[in-house]
Amino acid sequence: MRPHFDRLYRLAWRLTGAKAEAEDLFQELLIKAFGKLDELVEIDEPGSWLCRVMYNLFIDEQRRFARRRMHTVEECQLAGGSLEGLPGADNPLQDNERLEKLQRLDAALEQLSDEHRIVVMLHDTEGYKLKEIQELTGVPVGTVKSRLHRARARLRQILFADGTIS
Amino acid sequence: MKNNDINKQDQEILELLKDYPMPAADAGFYDQALVRATHNGSRRQRNRWLLTGFGAAIAATIAVWMIGGMFLTNPQLPDAGAEIPGVTIALEEPRTVNLVFASATALDSATLTVSLPHGIELSGFPGQREITWETSLKEGKNLLPLTLLALKPAGGELLARLEHDDRDRTFRLRIDVT
Repeated sequence: MRPHFDRLYRLAWRLTGAKAEAEDLFQELLIKAFGKLDELVEIDEPGSWLCRVMYNLFIDEQRRFARRRMHTVEECQLAGGSLEGLPGADNPLQDNERLEKLQRLDAALEQLSDEHRIVVMLHDTEGYKLKEIQELTGVPVGTVKSRLHRARARLRQILFADGTIS
Repeated sequence: MKNNDINKQDQEILELLKDYPMPAADAGFYDQALVRATHNGSRRQRNRWLLTGFGAAIAATIAVWMIGGMFLTNPQLPDAGAEIPGVTIALEEPRTVNLVFASATALDSATLTVSLPHGIELSGFPGQREITWETSLKEGKNLLPLTLLALKPAGGELLARLEHDDRDRTFRLRIDVT
């Protein structure tokens, strides 16, 4: 299972939007997976299977995980991430502007519904294909597309209104 | 708004989304998660314990720990370990210790972890040295009864760690066994 850990941890983060919840979800997945090791060794694509199990765990406990939402940027700063790793790190002024935009994006994502936020995170941030999102969530591709379209439109509306984009 | 403007804005949003950061897992987190998953003894307990009202069992309370109002406002508070309260329990005789948590505001989704010294068990959790609950604290005083059982004539320190959001506080209770 270990080769899939990074992918699973990222998924947990994108689903829950907060470190503690991501760790919780990751932990619950491992506990569940260890109870199904016999089944797991027979599976051709264990990584995808584990992702689906994680998604289902998340949906089962969505209400609990939804209590805390996106604080990604702030947590990065707390963890010492700050501006490191952001593109254009040679120009502090540009970096600050970029960070502020990311913080406003963070706030905008909080205003989306979970289903819209998750689709936009998986597709636009993590690079999942529509088909992969369908396989993960069980939601038809047409619905995924529609959610993605609406999520982007809502983000555009929010970020245009607050001056993040022009 | 023109289509060109919308496309430009979408592109800008896409670039931001691609940069949207995510911290890596803490060093050792995967190993710890594996250990917890393979050892039921330290598995996180999902059952939500109800913290009962303060007045219900005050007569049985032998240790009172307070979490002041600053718990929510100052994450840098030192542990409340300057004066460690103590309790003496008899070997192989269950004894209930009531922990009282006072909170300035209601806390939803708080995590309480109790770590037991070697040779001390918590009734209902045989063989487990660390038990974690998710719970909610109401504003004011909340009572958590813990029934301890000493299996060996050796005491130690019980640690109770309460976490909420990014803040936490650890309390200690010295346990002597006769």
